[in-house]
Amino acid sequence: MLFKIAFKNLLGAKLRTFLNVLVTSISFFMIIFVSGLYDGMRQHAKQVTIDTEIAGGAYWHPMYDPMDPLLFEDAHSTLPPGIDSLVQEKKAVPVLVSQAAIYPHGRIMPVVMKGIDPNQNIINMPTEVLVKNKNTDIPVLIGREMASKTKLEMGDSFTIRWLDADGTYDADEGTVIHIMDTENFKIDIGQIWVPIEKAREMLEMKNEVTYVSYAKEEKEVNDLGTWVHRDVDYLIQDIEAAIEADKPGNQIMFAILLCLAAIGIFNAQVLSIFRRGKEIGTLMAIGMTRSKVVALFTMEGGINAVLASALTVFPFGIILWWTAEYGIPMPIDYTEMGFLMATRLIPVYSMGLIVITTILVFVIVITVSYLPSRKISKMKPTDALRGKIVS
Amino acid sequence: MENNTVISIQNLVKRFPVGGDFFTALKNVDLDLHRGEFTGLVGPSGSGKTTLLNIIGGLDSVSEGTVRVLDQSLDNTSHNERAKLRRKYMGFIFQSYNLLPVYTVFENVELPLILNKIDSDERIKKVNQAIEWVGLTSKRNSKPSMLSGGECQRTAIARALVHQPVLVMADEPTANLDAENSHNIMKILTKLNKELDTSFVFATHDEKIMGYLKRIIRLEDGKIIKDEKIKRKDS
Repeated sequence: MLFKIAFKNLLGAKLRTFLNVLVTSISFFMIIFVSGLYDGMRQHAKQVTIDTEIAGGAYWHPMYDPMDPLLFEDAHSTLPPGIDSLVQEKKAVPVLVSQAAIYPHGRIMPVVMKGIDPNQNIINMPTEVLVKNKNTDIPVLIGREMASKTKLEMGDSFTIRWLDADGTYDADEGTVIHIMDTENFKIDIGQIWVPIEKAREMLEMKNEVTYVSYAKEEKEVNDLGTWVHRDVDYLIQDIEAAIEADKPGNQIMFAILLCLAAIGIFNAQVLSIFRRGKEIGTLMAIGMTRSKVVALFTMEGGINAVLASALTVFPFGIILWWTAEYGIPMPIDYTEMGFLMATRLIPVYSMGLIVITTILVFVIVITVSYLPSRKISKMKPTDALRGKIVS
Repeated sequence: MENNTVISIQNLVKRFPVGGDFFTALKNVDLDLHRGEFTGLVGPSGSGKTTLLNIIGGLDSVSEGTVRVLDQSLDNTSHNERAKLRRKYMGFIFQSYNLLPVYTVFENVELPLILNKIDSDERIKKVNQAIEWVGLTSKRNSKPSMLSGGECQRTAIARALVHQPVLVMADEPTANLDAENSHNIMKILTKLNKELDTSFVFATHDEKIMGYLKRIIRLEDGKIIKDEKIKRKDS
């Protein structure tokens, strides 16, 4: 009976119902969209790191520690047979790492020089450009941010100084043959990439390697020697830690969005219910009990939430799907502000986010329907009939 | 209480808090109303007629005294029991109609039957009958905003009578209507009073109504000052 009356009330109050449902639906959509955007940014950072740096995992020289450049001069050797066969089968890419200094426009800048196999297709970097230019002594690939900081452009030459295996400093001219656009600052800032054979020649480290990144879904090899296996979980732990550290911020933002939504829904519902004081008085006069009045208005709120969910699925669902599929282009280039961000943000709408948001929106709508209707139902019917203002 | 007594009131006092003090709206009222009576509570504004009507309808509580409606004491009944009494045995007609704006005439009239859990087929039959009583068959699908004042009040009458209550209370039912509509409404109510044997209690100070009443109870400053039964030609 109550459901029928509640449904009839909502259908009858066309514009009022539409506005209430719209406010709830917009709140619903905004919470999911903004949270999805935030999750997407974090997921994207992780995915970019895997694609451009980690691939399926890595084998490190036992002395290699990317956080300690002083150890680079000792962190190199020939590959153990198990890893070497992986490289020969083109299922892994070897990288030789050393410290170096560059002198762009006469200013010194310490860098990490990485020699990489130009023909690799394990990680998403345009290393093939390193074989196209054979006229230059040392072809160098750098990232957009590095180019910006050093003011180097395509074709610019600059001095590179390094310490070879004998402990002797050497120097030669390097030429920027390509500036790559990447969202992974770890392969960009403070890094120069050269062909691995050239790096071995410069460093006098024939056939030597610092680490190897292997293809995705490749199984761990057995014959590692003293080399150390690093899986994806290990290699992305710094990003995971950053995401974990960012979680409270994300939760606060979710809570703020929820509060804003709750205020919007509360305003719409309270206004709608308090305006209906006379109607509530009339229902009481013709014999509806107080508890049924409260149940009726709470049920109206519940149906309102169901309709809002439906509206969120269509048409807002199309917007959510479209943004998840094609992303949102960033309006400005954040690299100019010193941030490395994706040019398109792709939101990620997890099932957990959708379920939790749905439950919370339902709880809010039902609560903000229940509280004012309970208050108004406690009025004397004579006061409600007169349309007395509820304080 | 006699068998045909619908309302029995003894030593009724009603006080309202005003500021830090109390205003006594009804003072030691004693009254009996019988089945089928067409009674008016008449008096100037502030005389206590609407307060008395609200107390009889169980919409307001008493400060002192006893009120029995349909052989049930209202002094110690819960909100739910009073709601049930109103739902089953009473009908209300208000000065400003109090129709639900989002409902059609049919749906407004249907509401008391839904609350009384009458099944759908019987509901349709009864609603159509009630709409016919008040002459609104052609407007059954119209919403209140599309009706004149007189039509709205006729809808309210149909709603008050659709479940054929024992007692109908009407608070200034013609106050918002012109003379012609007022007479039409009173003619409808007189006819239904006769046909359904429903008791009517009006709170009014409208002289146009007086000519239809069979009993006039005059109130002044919360007291009954005169209670007269009037013989009408048609009664």
